[in-house]
Amino acid sequence: MSQPGTGEVHLRRSVGTATATATSAGLAFAAIDYLGVVSIMAYAPGASGWLAIGIGAGLVFLVAGVFSELNGLYPTAAGIRLYLGRALGTRIALTATFTYMTTVVLVIAADAFLIGAAVRYVLHEPAALAYVWIVVLLAVATAANLRGVVLAGWVQTVVTYVVLSSTAIVSVIAIFHVGGSFRTPLHLFGAKPLSGIQAIAFALFLFAAFEWVTTTAEEARGPKVITRALFLAPLLIWACSTLFLLGLSHLVPFASLHHSAYPQLLLGKAALGTVGELWMLAITVLTALNTFNGGFLVASRFIYAAAREGNLPSTMARLNLNAVPWVAVLVLAGSSAILAALIFATGQWLLLVAVGATLEAGIYALASASLVILRRKEQRDRPFRLARGRGLAIAGTVIFSVFALATGLADPANSSRFSPEPLLVIVMLASLSALYVNVGLPRVQARAAGRRAAAAAARPSRRPARPTTVESDPTVEPMEP
Amino acid sequence: MATWDELSEALEDYTASCNTNDRLRKMQRDWTRTLHFICSDTDVAFTMVVEAGEITGTPAGHHGVPDIVVTTDSETFCDMFWGDLNPVAKYLRGEIAVRGSQEDVMRLDAISYVIWPDS
Repeated sequence: MSQPGTGEVHLRRSVGTATATATSAGLAFAAIDYLGVVSIMAYAPGASGWLAIGIGAGLVFLVAGVFSELNGLYPTAAGIRLYLGRALGTRIALTATFTYMTTVVLVIAADAFLIGAAVRYVLHEPAALAYVWIVVLLAVATAANLRGVVLAGWVQTVVTYVVLSSTAIVSVIAIFHVGGSFRTPLHLFGAKPLSGIQAIAFALFLFAAFEWVTTTAEEARGPKVITRALFLAPLLIWACSTLFLLGLSHLVPFASLHHSAYPQLLLGKAALGTVGELWMLAITVLTALNTFNGGFLVASRFIYAAAREGNLPSTMARLNLNAVPWVAVLVLAGSSAILAALIFATGQWLLLVAVGATLEAGIYALASASLVILRRKEQRDRPFRLARGRGLAIAGTVIFSVFALATGLADPANSSRFSPEPLLVIVMLASLSALYVNVGLPRVQARAAGRRAAAAAARPSRRPARPTTVESDPTVEPMEP
Repeated sequence: MATWDELSEALEDYTASCNTNDRLRKMQRDWTRTLHFICSDTDVAFTMVVEAGEITGTPAGHHGVPDIVVTTDSETFCDMFWGDLNPVAKYLRGEIAVRGSQEDVMRLDAISYVIWPDS
């Protein structure tokens, strides 16, 4: 079979480099990234976090190389599920993908919480009203999804560039604002070497989900579009996050940032007063467009496909009259609302950052390991081949596993101590996924097979039977009657 | 390996099944697309034109600019159009290759799902 995506196909609507880059950056840059920067600052003293983000960006280039080669081999929306499946087997792939998909719920819930908290703060409303905003936001996003409203590609592109450029502009104003200072800009490993490593591990979280752009490989204008996006988007996020961190460390005392759910508003206010605060609030709300649109779409379509394939109960594939998998959307919205309520009740939003960072580093390690295995299994040409790929992928597997542990045992609320909580949350999620894949899934598949067999018995194939033709063999004498 | 005659017969049945399904027509009311199909084993190519959810033609060869391009072997196409296989399972295994937006790919599968829920 010809390989998809390896040749140029001219589609009526296709995605070019600018849109793919915006998609990648937009998927990665959510409101929770502002908290990600604060988490880096918890481990990197003074202004030295810029080094952590720089090193993190360098490592993300390795990830971009790994995903570019994998995407070149399998340019499909099934993306990571297919790479992992071919490399590590179906069960591991399913367990990892189900666990990975929980990051979508995590990011949707976190964004709903953070935006609700930011709106409440600016409007000076009682704390309890934040949850009302959260519910309203999720309800609007759910209703839009159920009606089949999809953000047009150009809107997504504009929103992403507005969010990134606004954050950069406000940050630059903060950097040049009088009255601030940069302290210890080069002391990343000065206090404690392990803290420096943890700061880099948290920096990886800023880029989390940039690789989801590989799911749009089938609509890309050419095979190199996704590769370009995978390398360009981290550059944008690196520039924006570095400026934001420098702006914060220059103008806002860390003590006031550390327990705040809206550091971007504090930066806006410190740099430009009320105008800056409102500007950053508007930007925070805008991030929700990309998060909710991208998050709900990616996750609900994944659930639909998994259900159609027989890996989730068939109910999850039910479609409404707008061709939207409505059960999947409602499950996502409900899970996000419950998680947002938990964050609201416990105030553990930094735990989410640590869990997200650990999951992402873990997925990067698995993807690197997949490339090592697939280099052996798949010899065919691909549009992108990572130079010194095997060695780099082995290094990536080790480095990202270490980073997964570094964030999995971190406590961003108190950087001087370790906490197993992030790792425990992930172990719990992975165990639930593994339990489902090994115990629940065989039952789901047996039920589906039973239904198919019953349907086949009730409706035998309508395909006309092909007339059986006996090829005459010229070497055989015809038998006498 | 299926011949063009076999494919035509399958397409004819598929078109009738789609166009007479009220729920599907309602669901796909805003879906107007040109689909190109390529049989990887026989190099047979054909087009499917969908206007507001109604399949208005399935001519041989490629016509117009496609929104979606689907590539697989001719037998898989035949089975798919007769409702004898689950397209998503084949797609997720990489046996059916599609170029087009994720939303369109899902809509294409939704057709099979609505007509043959137990395929």
